[in-house]
Amino acid sequence: MRYAFNESLKDDDSGDHDQDQSSPKDSETIKIEDDEKEQNTTKKKMVVPGAGEHPLQYNYTFWYSRRTPGRPASTQSYEQNIKQIGSFASVEQFWRFYSHMIRPGDLTGHSDFHLFKEGIKPMWEDDANKMGGKWIIRLRKGLASRCWENLILAMLGEQFMVGEEICGAVVSVRFQEDIISIWNKTASDQGTTARIRDTLRRVLNLPPNTIMEYKTHTDSIKYVCLLSLLFSLHLLL
Amino acid sequence: MIGNLLFHVLYPFSRYINSRLAETSGNAVTPAVVKATTDWDGASLTVSLLPSQTTLVHHSGETKKRVEKEKKHAPKTDMESHEGPRQDADSEITEVSVLQRDAGNPNEDSDKKQDSEDGCSSTVDCAGLEAEQLKSLQTQSHVQEEKLTAVEQIQIQTSQSPAGSSEHSCSAEGQLHTPSKKNLQTLAETVSEISECWDEYTLLSGEETYNTASAPQLTLSSLPSGTQAHLQCVEEHEEQTCWHFPHGPGLTQEIQCKPWEFPALSYYLPMEPAEQLEVIWRVWKELSDCNAAVERIPFQFSDGSMDFTVMSYNILAQDLLELNQYLYKHCPLEVLDWNYRYNLLVEEIKKWTPDILCLQEVQENHYREQLHPALVEMGYSCIYKCRTGTKTDGCAVCYRSKRFAEVSFTKLEFFRSETGLLNRHNVGIVLLLRPLVAQGAALKESGPPLCLANTHLLFNPRRGDVKLAQLAIMLAEIDAVVKSCKVKGEHCNVVLCGDFNSLPNTPLYQLIVTGELYYQGLPAWMVSGQEDLSYKPSCHRLSAPLLPGSLGITDSCQYTSVNSLKAGKCRYSHDFMLQLRFCPAACSRPPDLVLIPGVTDLAPDASKPNHYPQRFRDILQHRLNLESVYKHVCPDVDRPEVTTLHSEVGATVDYIFYTPKRTCPSHQKPGEKFPGEGLKLTGYLSLLPEDMLWSMNGLPNQIFPSDHLSLLARFQLDLNIS
Repeated sequence: MRYAFNESLKDDDSGDHDQDQSSPKDSETIKIEDDEKEQNTTKKKMVVPGAGEHPLQYNYTFWYSRRTPGRPASTQSYEQNIKQIGSFASVEQFWRFYSHMIRPGDLTGHSDFHLFKEGIKPMWEDDANKMGGKWIIRLRKGLASRCWENLILAMLGEQFMVGEEICGAVVSVRFQEDIISIWNKTASDQGTTARIRDTLRRVLNLPPNTIMEYKTHTDSIKYVCLLSLLFSLHLLL
Repeated sequence: MIGNLLFHVLYPFSRYINSRLAETSGNAVTPAVVKATTDWDGASLTVSLLPSQTTLVHHSGETKKRVEKEKKHAPKTDMESHEGPRQDADSEITEVSVLQRDAGNPNEDSDKKQDSEDGCSSTVDCAGLEAEQLKSLQTQSHVQEEKLTAVEQIQIQTSQSPAGSSEHSCSAEGQLHTPSKKNLQTLAETVSEISECWDEYTLLSGEETYNTASAPQLTLSSLPSGTQAHLQCVEEHEEQTCWHFPHGPGLTQEIQCKPWEFPALSYYLPMEPAEQLEVIWRVWKELSDCNAAVERIPFQFSDGSMDFTVMSYNILAQDLLELNQYLYKHCPLEVLDWNYRYNLLVEEIKKWTPDILCLQEVQENHYREQLHPALVEMGYSCIYKCRTGTKTDGCAVCYRSKRFAEVSFTKLEFFRSETGLLNRHNVGIVLLLRPLVAQGAALKESGPPLCLANTHLLFNPRRGDVKLAQLAIMLAEIDAVVKSCKVKGEHCNVVLCGDFNSLPNTPLYQLIVTGELYYQGLPAWMVSGQEDLSYKPSCHRLSAPLLPGSLGITDSCQYTSVNSLKAGKCRYSHDFMLQLRFCPAACSRPPDLVLIPGVTDLAPDASKPNHYPQRFRDILQHRLNLESVYKHVCPDVDRPEVTTLHSEVGATVDYIFYTPKRTCPSHQKPGEKFPGEGLKLTGYLSLLPEDMLWSMNGLPNQIFPSDHLSLLARFQLDLNIS
């Protein structure tokens, strides 16, 4: 994986590629996991832009997850439920994947799409995420497809202007509402989070009364732990 | 002193009478009132060109005419001796007005009217000279007149009196030199005469004088609302306007008069050739509140700001005029002659000497042989771009080289052979200037750059799509210039002007001023709104994407190249990314994409680009924040302004857009972030409503050499920004 990063640096030739959101150790672990899952495709993981294509600042990976409703997601089950769809390095490659994927608004059940920088897993525990947080926007049904597209186009097109702070974005299709969120690395960096919020407002064309909230992942972890605990207790009793 | 006292005593009384007057109909006018007004009449009948005066003449009719004809001859000789010294000074003005009068009324009514007006003027003369005689005459006239007329006269006086400030120096007596037929016109200007009359009256009898003096107030309440409004109008004008070119007395009133107060348009006197005559048809409007009494110094750099003027003018290429002669059938042949028009044009430019001059429809040979040399002589540097194809005209941008230095310019051709859309031969110029500031003897570049754009979009009312695409090219170029300044850390102000061949508040206009336009399904003719073609069964409608990909311009009116790798960053706008959505590379299924039913089994379909509302893709946008100088309604008369007029159309199609000062940025630091950014509009030359132009025989005419009017605006630029 580290090798792959170096390669991308060479290819991109942008000189601005000092991204280190994945520590060596982190890359290692991912690699191990990836190897475990799909050993034969590991070599192809680090995608490069095709000739004449428009390179993205970072490579990204699409993920898809579907949860069985009724049970709170323990970390374990979450990791098992989530699937990688594919990675891309250019605008053209992004559209190749995106165009073949169902729009979030048309997804059925309890499903999520995740789009994260290559090398960052869409989990709180990932090194890039563990100090981070996310902006959450709850949408009434019918808005998710458009908002999701606007959000990821802004993210891929580097419209947020917060350096390397962005980790990825998630759209969660739920029963009565849909939720979109964008994750960043440093929850305590208020300048960054404010900037992300303002950009979101601009690019999403949200209805004016839409509520936006920021959640740190540590809070989320605590909350879920509490829930799990309660759930276990409930089972025990 | 006594007079004052009397005034105060009599004022309530006169108010009372006045109210009586208002209550009772014309027949019931009390003798006292009649008498008071009689005296006043003597002085104030000098009003001639005012619409209300015309009304008077109109109404008073034959009786009065006869009466006054009788008196006509008496005063003349006397006046000469009385006011001898003033004659010389005034004679010029008198001549002017005579000419103006001459020009007037081609219809048969004019003679009759002149007669009656002459009558009025002689009354005035009498008043100035022999009060006794006047009195008897007036009384006589009043006896014979209908009472209604008397009331009307009162009204006229009143409306006139506020305008009676001493700024008008022309005297009634001066006119007496001129043939009596023409006297009346000049008398219009002689408001100062009023005070003279008062003097005379004072000698005679104080009471009468004060009656007279109180007349204006007295009649105020009884005035019909229309007259009151007019009165107000005149007052306002005296407070606020700042005249920017020499003008004869009385002309102020002329401009201020509301067209609808004319009994018929034919009473408004159209112009005949009269070079000496300088009529102010168009009024300079001051907007800056802080310096209402701006003295126009050519180089004005007060506290770090600089004033400059911009003129946009479609001067009507002679070739086009000859090609479309049917549009100018209303014009006398001589005003269509190029040399005649050229002289007027140069005069007009000289009169205003705008710092920046944007011309459209400049015929190439005329530019090369006449206009360019003349402009260079006036101190302008010029950039010219002829239209492509076989067209012989083009756009020119000229700036006074003492005020601005050129940084760069681009000549734009809108014709793109590779696209079906942009197949018309229109052009534009985008110029980057930097203000010059006098430092001692030398001129130094200073302050923020100014991007100046001039264009003439396609005329064809049915091809709104082409107009939009042409505009997009223009905006993309401006955007590139602004961005190039931004890279250097400078804010660039923008002035975009020209003939856009689109009416106000149409989609094209909306795109410019609001920065976005949803165009899906919009009928092409509606874009410019020049003609209502909705009756046509099949009309071309716009559909996304409007701009062909080969144009290299995004829906945000930006060059695509600007979005690509810049400073090592891969930043892409929303629109840019959308443009690649259905590129061939994006339509093949990735080999490594796992097929998950209901998740990854969608097939890209360019014909159905979206499942959700279309509008998010069918949009043209720009980020320039532009505002129009003109508001498209004449503020005084509350009617649409027109910038062009010929036998088929009278409408606003020319504009000056500019980046206004941000009044209060919505960010946390109010006023801090962009202290000097943007331009402040401090004044502009007012346009005219259509009927007023028709009263001058339409366009072009002896005053305005083109079928468009010039647009002129003054801006203030903050020089103190880093």
